[in-house]
Amino acid sequence: MRARPAALALALIASATALAGCGRGASAPPGRGAPRYFGSLHPPAGQVFRFNNGAEPEHLDPALASGQPDGRITRALFEGLVVSDPRTLEPAPGHAYRWEISTDGRDYTFHLRPGLVWSDRAPLTARDFEWSWKRVLDPATGSRYAGLLFPVANAEAYNSGRLADADAVGIRASDDSTLVVRLADPTPHFLHLAALYTCLPVPRHAVERYGDRWTQPENIVGNGPFLLRRWEARARLVLERNPTYWDAAAVRLERVVAYSVDDAATSTNLYKAGMLDWSPSGYIPSQYLPYMRGYADFRSAPQQTVYFYSINVTRAPLDDVWVRRALTYALDRETLARRVLRGTRPAWGRFAPGGYPGYEPPPEIAYDPARARECLSRAGYPGGQGFPKIEILINTSDDRRRVAEAVQAMWKQTLGIPVGVTNLEWATYLDATAKLKYQVAVRNWIGDYPDPSTFLNCYRSGDGNNRTGWSSGPYDRLLAAAQGEGDPAARLRLLSRAEAILLDEAPVIPVYQFVTHELVKPYVRGLYATPLDYHPLKSVWIDHGGATGANAAARGAP
Amino acid sequence: MISYAVRRALLMIPTLWVIATLTFCLVRLAPGGPFQSERDIPPAARAALTAKYGLDRPLPEQYATFLRRAAVLDLGPSYSNPTREVRDLILGSAGVSFELGGWALLVALLVGLPLGALAAYRQNTFTDHAAMAAALLGVSIPNFVLGPLLVLLFSLTLLWLPPALWTSPASRVLPVLTLAAVYVAYVARLTRGGMLETLRQDYVRTARAKGLGEGRVVMRHAFRLGVLPVVSFLGPAAARVVTGSLVVEQVFAIPGLGRHLVNGAFNRDYTLVLGVVLFYAVILLVLNLLVDLAYAWLDPRVELA
Repeated sequence: MRARPAALALALIASATALAGCGRGASAPPGRGAPRYFGSLHPPAGQVFRFNNGAEPEHLDPALASGQPDGRITRALFEGLVVSDPRTLEPAPGHAYRWEISTDGRDYTFHLRPGLVWSDRAPLTARDFEWSWKRVLDPATGSRYAGLLFPVANAEAYNSGRLADADAVGIRASDDSTLVVRLADPTPHFLHLAALYTCLPVPRHAVERYGDRWTQPENIVGNGPFLLRRWEARARLVLERNPTYWDAAAVRLERVVAYSVDDAATSTNLYKAGMLDWSPSGYIPSQYLPYMRGYADFRSAPQQTVYFYSINVTRAPLDDVWVRRALTYALDRETLARRVLRGTRPAWGRFAPGGYPGYEPPPEIAYDPARARECLSRAGYPGGQGFPKIEILINTSDDRRRVAEAVQAMWKQTLGIPVGVTNLEWATYLDATAKLKYQVAVRNWIGDYPDPSTFLNCYRSGDGNNRTGWSSGPYDRLLAAAQGEGDPAARLRLLSRAEAILLDEAPVIPVYQFVTHELVKPYVRGLYATPLDYHPLKSVWIDHGGATGANAAARGAP
Repeated sequence: MISYAVRRALLMIPTLWVIATLTFCLVRLAPGGPFQSERDIPPAARAALTAKYGLDRPLPEQYATFLRRAAVLDLGPSYSNPTREVRDLILGSAGVSFELGGWALLVALLVGLPLGALAAYRQNTFTDHAAMAAALLGVSIPNFVLGPLLVLLFSLTLLWLPPALWTSPASRVLPVLTLAAVYVAYVARLTRGGMLETLRQDYVRTARAKGLGEGRVVMRHAFRLGVLPVVSFLGPAAARVVTGSLVVEQVFAIPGLGRHLVNGAFNRDYTLVLGVVLFYAVILLVLNLLVDLAYAWLDPRVELA
């Protein structure tokens, strides 16, 4: 907390810093109406790609990796059975060149390409995948994302220690080039799961030889488009093209430099000075965003996320569903998005983000002050009389504070209830939300795969991500039915009914959705705007020819 | 003098033990722990992680283990960077911080000492006022303002120097200047104060009376005692400056020690926090000892006992 005024002043100065020099030097537009760029337009010499990877990666071991900085690097160093298409992120052949899915949707048979090798030229077989996936599920590994493989038969029982026999888990290499996966339930998004970094294969021989230190540059063995050459703590990682990669001919970059710069203003300065070719989403200070829209190298795309208020339903007065409904209807999302967020993020009145093919979501929650007051009266607090003060818990962040203060004002104005805002440092905040030591807390959720269940599963009774104390029998039953449903359309209808219950009982109040905001130099090709803020590096290359945006469309600007 | 130094060195051991114990208690008192996140961690994974780092053991046992390991300078792996030992992380960053801090101190002394001495010698003239105004400015502008301003001017407008990173020699310039500014100001003010006092001393008058040249009087006699306040300031200042500056590291993306402490505390990375605190304590104690020894050498009135 002590650092707050300093941080604020820093941010203000930094905004002045970055914005004052806009349009100077190399970025000066050649003529009227020509696109404007933010800073230098000189590409690096050769096929070198420099980007800010954000915070220092914690783990380069795919089984242990968590978060974007880990994910971007692991997916460059390793390749799974299935990869994500660089434009659409739909599952595409990776180390498996084809696969079959049984008619009941429960059996997946993956066929590996012939002649696959690790970067030390050891042969790579289906047994490596079997071992790697079972390693993720092995409780001794301590994988945070082991849950992503729980659709696999017996996976959850094995991970929780209820089942000791790894052979009973539905993952088996029937021969060197075939992996057979048996699922407990038909899971239409299973191929998306198989493309996530948790499911990347790891080299058993290196893991067993070097233990925890197998991901150090001198020990690591990979199978992806790039190799790890250097890892300078909290400074940068240097990757080079992997000559033993099966599709090495398609990889045009010789070298990738991933800087670990966690300060957004610094990242933007480096981009402007031409020392970065890509500043990914999350590394532009939010107060710059309204000014960045005019630049041709700034782009934004919707993200599979929701920013919401989580309500602890175990304590009065928020244990009353009418109070929660009153809070929900009293929140004017559109005004908040326009005035507080200044149009940088869209208001959102549902829990699962939109845009899933075939998913018909329940109606959005709308701002309705009259109804909000009526709900509060039904709860026994007409006009807010006698309503005890409630606190909105945020973690230290200027953005979160601004939104919370706007919500505080809306609830006071519409409902006449006293509302406070409490600010806690991150780890203390996490502790408070996990232990239900709060009343209303800001949270956000990022989807792992393109399916509403990645959002709705959080609110099953007793789920570790629930953190509201809310539990509903009908909701649990709908989700369980959806899980066992073989017909995809019927499954999505069940999920939609579940979401309607969640919105009606309001243990969560959705506020807005995140949007990716990134800066990409116009000479960078093959780095497309994608729906999940994941950008495979394999397809990226540097265009040393006409780089000033005449063919910007080719690089996939939105 | 040697026996004094040895005695002081031995006294460091109980001091460090107290610091280690207090820090251990404080980090454990903070709510939350190292293995929590916005996403739930499967119970099995959480159990495996706590067991791996011995956090499932009773607290006294953890404390004993920590002391035993600290005694041999092996605190084990960092929780947030488990492939690296805390010792290696600290030593790696210490190199960067020492370099940054060393340059900054050098700049501070090279600019601050002559500036202060000149101001004292020309007391109450325009030179004095100009020098002290500059010093006041240096103390008053916080580095989180100065850093971005220098970046704006030299990197983004004039395009002379890189705006951040710790790679080329050119990348050193702005962070060193940012960090040095406040120390230049302190050193100049302390030198001026010390010099003013010594210039009025009897022994200086004696030196002049016996016909020594003015340069010799000032440099040989007055300056030597006049810098004593600077020397006592240098101990803690050097400790602070070499153990990292959070703001300068943040603004210029420098992998120094300062952010280890802050990030370690935020992430509840117990081993990293303990390691950095102990490292900082050792540096501070050693530098204080050096300052005391330097005092005895500079000021004939001081006797070490």
